[in-house]
Amino acid sequence: MRGRGRFLSVYAWLVYVFLYAPIAILVLFSFNRARQTAVWEGWTLEWYRSLAGNDLILASVKNSLIVGLASTAIATVIGTLVALALGRHALRGEGFTRSLLYLPVIIPEIVLGAALVTFYGVLSFHLSLWTVVIAHVVFCVSYVAIVVRARLSGFDRSLEEAALDLGARPLQTFWRVTLPLITPGIVAGALLSFTISIDDYVITSFVAGVGATTLPLQIYSMLKVGVTPEVNAVSSLLLALTVVLIVIAQRLQQAPVERGEMS
Amino acid sequence: MSRLARAAAGGILAAAVLAGAACGPRGDETPYPGPGEKKLNLYIWSEYLPKEVIDEFTRRTGIAVHYDLYDSNEPVLEKLQSGVADYDLVVPSDYMVRILIELKLLRPLDRARLKNLKNLDPRFLDKQFDPGNAYSLPYVWGTTGYGYDKTKAGRTEDSWAPLFDPRNRGQILMLDDMRECFAAALKFLGHSLNSTDPAILKQAAVLLKKQKDLVKTYNSGDYENILAAGDVWFAHGYNGQLARVAAADPRRFGYVLPKEGATLWMDSVCIPARARNVESIYAFLDYVLEPEVNARIVNGISYASPNVPARKFIRPEILNDPAIYPSEEALAKCELLEDIGDATTILDEYWTEIKAQ
Amino acid sequence: MADRPPRPERTGVLLALPTWLTLGVFFLLPLAILFVISFGQRATYGGLKPIVDLGLYLRSGKFLANYARSLHPIYLQIFWRSIWMAVVTTLVCLVVSFPVAYYIAVAAPARRRNLLLGLVVVPFWTSFLIRTYAWMFILRTEGLVNRFLVGSGLTHGPLELLYNNFAVLIGLIYGELPFMILPLYASLEKLDLSLLEASADLGAARSSTFWRITVPMTMPGIVAGVILVFVPSLGQFIVSDLLGGAKTILAGNLIQNQFAVARNKPFGAAVAFELTAAVLLLLFAYALYTKRKGQDVLL
Repeated sequence: MRGRGRFLSVYAWLVYVFLYAPIAILVLFSFNRARQTAVWEGWTLEWYRSLAGNDLILASVKNSLIVGLASTAIATVIGTLVALALGRHALRGEGFTRSLLYLPVIIPEIVLGAALVTFYGVLSFHLSLWTVVIAHVVFCVSYVAIVVRARLSGFDRSLEEAALDLGARPLQTFWRVTLPLITPGIVAGALLSFTISIDDYVITSFVAGVGATTLPLQIYSMLKVGVTPEVNAVSSLLLALTVVLIVIAQRLQQAPVERGEMS
Repeated sequence: MSRLARAAAGGILAAAVLAGAACGPRGDETPYPGPGEKKLNLYIWSEYLPKEVIDEFTRRTGIAVHYDLYDSNEPVLEKLQSGVADYDLVVPSDYMVRILIELKLLRPLDRARLKNLKNLDPRFLDKQFDPGNAYSLPYVWGTTGYGYDKTKAGRTEDSWAPLFDPRNRGQILMLDDMRECFAAALKFLGHSLNSTDPAILKQAAVLLKKQKDLVKTYNSGDYENILAAGDVWFAHGYNGQLARVAAADPRRFGYVLPKEGATLWMDSVCIPARARNVESIYAFLDYVLEPEVNARIVNGISYASPNVPARKFIRPEILNDPAIYPSEEALAKCELLEDIGDATTILDEYWTEIKAQ
Repeated sequence: MADRPPRPERTGVLLALPTWLTLGVFFLLPLAILFVISFGQRATYGGLKPIVDLGLYLRSGKFLANYARSLHPIYLQIFWRSIWMAVVTTLVCLVVSFPVAYYIAVAAPARRRNLLLGLVVVPFWTSFLIRTYAWMFILRTEGLVNRFLVGSGLTHGPLELLYNNFAVLIGLIYGELPFMILPLYASLEKLDLSLLEASADLGAARSSTFWRITVPMTMPGIVAGVILVFVPSLGQFIVSDLLGGAKTILAGNLIQNQFAVARNKPFGAAVAFELTAAVLLLLFAYALYTKRKGQDVLL
């Protein structure tokens, strides 16, 4: 088994190298003296300095984070619930629900964007940051539901049944047994959901209202005058922040787990 | 399945009713509301308006400016059509202005309120897309030509010819834009770039089909980077981005506005029909028409403005750059892209064919 | 499905209700409007041509014009190419992702799992456009890979790595990897190691343990991953434009062009609905197949 384990870890790290190769370039270019993003001209911190004074980019980052976190939170909760309905309960309209969940993944973004803005018009919903959040929830729910549903399927129900037999109330059973079982699915779904929300631009460009420019909109709108390395700088900073947060979360989580492993 | 069908049928019925309601009269010809609030919501391309210019406006007038960005004209159309976007000013391109006027999504300009209107160069006024400038004021303009790498392409004639020359196989970048590619081909063939004659369009399509073999990539995003990186010798594109590359390394890169003529494009400021903050809007329009303010915009964004007295304050290296301010006679051969109505569908079918072959 | 514990049906409905409401109102209704539009005709300035006589319009069959147009060979060729690209992307993603997901979920130390999982998605929290520019920097004629190849004498001249199908596939696969790795992880993480050990103890070859136990047990994750990769790659267009040189049209480009450049929303909508119908049919066929085999429907 050991030989295979080593092969596996080497292989996995190679894939990580593939995932991070363009990211390394991206970070490198945030220190590039040239304004163009294709030629290397030497080191500078200029872009970080000018970023600090660029209210537009900073405001768009804030908007992106609000939209990403809000839509992920909502989508994760309702997506998990519907996955439970599909995987754990007899559900009237099961086939309908399943198709409903696949549609947002299938429909091309520009179609959804154009349709939604027309519909907001029908409802007289004035465009704002919240119309963006609603749009993002629409396509994020599916990702969460599909991943959690996959996690649930084929799961041994004996644990839940045992808990119920032992007199646990259904809600208690859910919190103590089901939820911990499906947590990896929920985490994976939430991560995917945030990933698509934070970088969505087609749908957002149609449904964003006054004061709701997100980072992708900001970046694409710069195309006409050329995207500056400030964008690389802000991406690098976000990247660094995320990695730090993940490592901290890891540390916090690790302590009790290791104690548990000891006993 | 039947349940699904029933649910779907119900949904469609409901939607059809709603859609009907949406298409009904919406009262776009609303009379002018009151002066509105002391704020202004702009919807504009990124970096079309330097921050210092906005800050000074707020300092002078106390009007807070909100600033949202777009990356193509289509969201502007969809948002104004939905009637739920609260923008006071938008800056669409020429052909889109025409569409917005046709769809009654713009409000006529009250010219009496603009004392700086006289500053605008008449060459950029009264265009087909908005006769008499009833709805729009030109904000910036430019041309679509191509940039080239002098070290590799050698001397080039001021013509579209190199982009169709088999000797440059694999060294050409074209804008990934149906109208612009057809414009280049039509001009090269000596026709108007707004031709709608099927025979002429076919000729252009045949040329573009042949040209596809020579093209390394179609790109309308960061083409100036691709040129700068040495990937291609010729890059078809808008003057602003290409001029920037040429200015950074003038010995290596140049911009050509072909002698056969090319696209002239203009982005114009318009007031959406449902804009509310009227006082603020006119204060702002008159402000950006002031020569010194306008010059500061041009100096900041390196695109030409149609403001005549502003030229006094524009940095000479911008004013004298033929890529930004071309000569009178070169400009005279340029044409605006007009909406060609139903011929769009013909072009679209040719374009699909060219790309899919 | 018979083994489902008898629970009040109400719970199921309550759990599904938020999604029904959200997607019903903000997805199905807008889409239904568009579905109606797909039977219309483009007006001169984009938008919809008003229909004077609905009866005549329906009888003349004009309402199907957009759907008829989309059956032209040139469009069929575009659909075919899109499907082919999506299939290759999905297969490569599956093969590349499985060992990684297995490593994270099973082989790596438990305390590192979340860290490793997070590191899979973090690259994608940066801007897509900038990431793609970085790929272009790596692959271009005077790019990183070519400089290495030529500098080290491995090849005589630079290779053409950019602006072709190879580059499109690299871009597609890169972008879709997390959507395969994460669902696989969620399924593999619950893999019962004791089963694998038992199988090994009983003398089963590694390959047969893999095909007989690991794969069937992670099937739900595989199906979810395949759907989350295959379906979106069908509609992709920006990757193919930037890395592939926009020299081919995929279904995603076609729809995008109709909504944006050609401003022919009715035709664009018709194509989009055909694509949707095709994918749904595929999914229904799969569900029917698994049901007939008496397995749990995984979709």
